[in-house]
Amino acid sequence: MAVESINIHPLDKHLRVDRIPTLYCPGCGIGITLGAMLRALDKRINEGLIDPNKIVWVGGIGCSARTVFYVRYDAAHVLHGRAIAFATGVVLANPELLVIVVGGDGDIAGIGGNHFIHAARRNIDIIVVMITNFVYAMTGGQVAPTTPRGVKTTTTPMGNPEPPLNAIKLVLALNANYAARASVTTPHYIENFFYKALGIKGFRFIEVISTCPEIYGRHIGLRDPVEMYNELKKRVKYKPKPSIEDADIDWEKGIIIGEFLERNNPSYLELLRGVYGK
Amino acid sequence: MISREHGKFRVTVIVDRCKECGLCIAICPVKVLVRSSIENKYGYRPPEPSDIEKCIGCKLCEYNCPDFAIFVEKVV
Amino acid sequence: MRKTFASGNIAVAEGAITAGLKFYAGYPITPSSEIMEYLAEKLPKLNGIVVQMEDEIASINAAIGASWAGAKSMTATSGPGFSLMAEAIGLAVITETPVVIVDVMRAGPSTGVPTKTSQSDVLQARWLAHGDYIVPCYAPWSVQEAYDLVIKAFNTAELLRTPVIVLSDAVIAHLWEPLTMYDQGEVEIINRKIPKGTEITLPYKPDPDLIPPMPIFGKGFKTIVESLTHDERGYYAPHESAYRALITRLNLKILKRLDYIFDYETYNCTSECDYMLLSYGSTARVTYIAMLELRRRGYNICMLRLKTLWPIDREKLVNSCKARRIVVVENNIGKIYMDIDRVFKDREVYSAPILSLEPPSLREVLEVISIWL
Ligand SMILES: Cc1ncc(C[n+]2csc(CCOP(=O)(O)OP(=O)(O)O)c2C)c(N)n1
Ligand code: SF4
Ligand code: SF4
Repeated sequence: MAVESINIHPLDKHLRVDRIPTLYCPGCGIGITLGAMLRALDKRINEGLIDPNKIVWVGGIGCSARTVFYVRYDAAHVLHGRAIAFATGVVLANPELLVIVVGGDGDIAGIGGNHFIHAARRNIDIIVVMITNFVYAMTGGQVAPTTPRGVKTTTTPMGNPEPPLNAIKLVLALNANYAARASVTTPHYIENFFYKALGIKGFRFIEVISTCPEIYGRHIGLRDPVEMYNELKKRVKYKPKPSIEDADIDWEKGIIIGEFLERNNPSYLELLRGVYGK
Repeated sequence: MISREHGKFRVTVIVDRCKECGLCIAICPVKVLVRSSIENKYGYRPPEPSDIEKCIGCKLCEYNCPDFAIFVEKVV
Repeated sequence: MRKTFASGNIAVAEGAITAGLKFYAGYPITPSSEIMEYLAEKLPKLNGIVVQMEDEIASINAAIGASWAGAKSMTATSGPGFSLMAEAIGLAVITETPVVIVDVMRAGPSTGVPTKTSQSDVLQARWLAHGDYIVPCYAPWSVQEAYDLVIKAFNTAELLRTPVIVLSDAVIAHLWEPLTMYDQGEVEIINRKIPKGTEITLPYKPDPDLIPPMPIFGKGFKTIVESLTHDERGYYAPHESAYRALITRLNLKILKRLDYIFDYETYNCTSECDYMLLSYGSTARVTYIAMLELRRRGYNICMLRLKTLWPIDREKLVNSCKARRIVVVENNIGKIYMDIDRVFKDREVYSAPILSLEPPSLREVLEVISIWL
C-alpha cells in the first residue's frame, strides 16, 4: 500500500510506488514524460507555490492516460475522450484545485477533440499534456489522428491515406494561454515547459512527442526502444520562439519543439468572476 | 538495489523496477553503465554502473529511465 | 415556505436549488432548456456555477467531475441528449458519483418531435448504459411533484452515492401550477458522507450500509476515481472475485434502500377492487380522471400511480391492491407494462398504450382502457 512503502527514488514521494513497475512496455516514452512532469511539480511544491493536497490528475483511457494510476495525488481515470470535460467540472466547482489532464493523442484530440477545442476556446484553467505516439497504442496499433500519411497500421494496412491533425496549430487558433511541444528525447524541456505551465492561468497545452516502441515501433520498423529513441532524437530540434509553420510534424524534415504560445488572456475563471461580479 | 559511487556521485539501480530497455546505457555520455548479468524478479537484467569512476553526474540516465529505476545523487 | 406559480421546468430548477445544487452543466434542447436558462439567472447569485458545455457528453462528464470536487451537480436534457449521456451514466455508477440527470421526455426516436410529449424513454432511463447496475428513477406527475422529486433525487444520490434520473416530459415541463417551496429546515436535505482524516488507502471500502464515504478532491485523501473495475484500493482488478464483489455491492447498496427509494400512490383503492389502472408521470393525470369517470359509470375501479419507476419494490406493489385486472396506461408502446405483468404474475395485466403527442384526452384514454373492461 502506498503509504507503507519506502521511498527510494527521488520521485517516489509523488508516486504510488506499490503500483510500480508500471504497465508500460520496456522503453516506453510515457514514463519519461511522467518523470519530467513530477520533477517540475516537485520544484513548484518545494517553492511553496502549490499545495500538494489541491492537485487533481485526470486521464481518459489509453496508455498515456494511465499515468494517473501512478501519481500519489487525487486522481481520476475516467472515460476515453472525456478527461477534459470531467476536468472542466472539477475546476469550475472548486477553483482552488490545480487540474492536470494527461492523455494520448487519440484520447485528447481524436474522440475528445470537441472538448479539447472548447476548453482551449474558453481558456479553462487546466493543463493538458498530450502524449503523441502517432498511434492508438492501448488498443493494439490502429491509426490515430496524428499518424503520418502512408504509415501502415492495423486499420490502414495499405498505408494511412489521411493527413494528420496538428494539435499545436489547432490550439494556436483558439484562446489558450500556453502551447509548447517537447519530446521524450528532451526530458528537460518537458520539465521546463511543465514547470512554466504550472505558473500560468488558463488553458495550457503541452504536446510531448513520444516513443511507442512496442506498437508504433513495430509499424515503422523501429521495434528496439533505443533505436526508436535515437531516431526520434535525431529529428527533434529545439527552436526559441518557433512560428506556426514550424509546428508541422514531418518525420523526414524534422520536428521542432519549443514554446509556440505564451500569453496572459483572462482565464475562464477570471472571465466568470467578471460577469458574476465577484 | 545496486549502488556504486566515487568521490562525487552515487548511481543507484532499483533492480526490480528495471525493464531492461537499455535507454540508460545508451544515453550515458561517458558510458558508465553496462547490462548486468543478474536477473530481477521479472527476468529483466538491470544495468550496472561498472565504470562508476567516469560518472559526471549529468543525471541523463535518471531522466531518461521510463521506470524510475535508476537515479544519481551527489555524494556529500 | 413560499407559495408561487411555476412551470414544471422551473420546479425542477427550484427543487435542485433547495437540495443544494452548486453546479449545473447542460446543452440546449427542447423541452428542457428553460431549466438551464432559469438556473443561469439564479444559481450564480447563490454561489453556484452554470455552464453551457459543447454537448451533452461534456455536460454530464463535467457534472460528474464537479461532484468529485464537492459540489452537488445536475444536468438536464431530452431524448437525443440523454442518449449521448449513456456512457457517462455508467461512469457515475462505477465511480459512485452522486449526480442528478433530468430527462424531459419528448417524442422519438431520433430527433422525433422536439416540442411534443412522450413517455418513451422509461426503459432507456433504466438501461441506458452498458453493464449491470441499478439507477433510481423518479417520474413526477405535477409541478409540485417535480419540485419534490428533484429534492428526493438529490437526497438519493447523496445518500447512496449514485446517479439518479428524473423523468419529466414535455407536458410537465410546460405546465403551470401552484408550487409550494420550502425554506431551509423545512425539508430533509441529505449530504454525502466524507471520510475522516487525510490520506486514505481504501477509498472504496464500504461502511456497513455498503456505501464508502466519498473522498472528494482537495482534502488530501489522495483519492482514485476509477472507471475500470476496481478493488477497495481503487486499483484495476480484472478478476472475477473483485468484479463480482464490486457489481454485487453496487447493486445491493441500492436494493438495500428500496424502502427509501420506492414510492407510489393509490387512489380509491379498497380491498375489493375489480380493476386497477396503473400509470405514472403526466399520463397519470388523465388516467386519474378516467378512473373517476369509470367509477361514476359504476365500475369498481381504483388507480395506482408510480412515483418511482425503478427500482420497483415487487412485494409492496403486489400487496398494494387486490384487483384481479390491472390496466397499465402509458404514453408509449407499452413499456412499464412489461414489469407490471411480471410483478403481478397471478393477475390479468393488460397494456393500454397511447401514442399521443399531446396530453392524451379523456376520450382516448377511456377508449384504450375500455377494451379490457
Ligand atoms: C468510447 C470508447 N471507445 C473506444 C475505446 C477503446 N480505446 C481505449 S484506448 C483507445 C485509444 C488509445 O489511443 P490514445 O488515446 O492515442 O492513447 P495511447 O494508448 O496511444 O497512449 C481506444 C480506442 C474506449 N475505451 N472507449
Ligand atoms: S503500447 Fe506503446 S504506448 Fe503503450 S505502453 Fe507499450 S510502448 Fe508505451
Ligand atoms: S532506463 Fe531504466 S528501465 Fe531502462 S534499462 Fe535503464 S534502468 Fe532499466
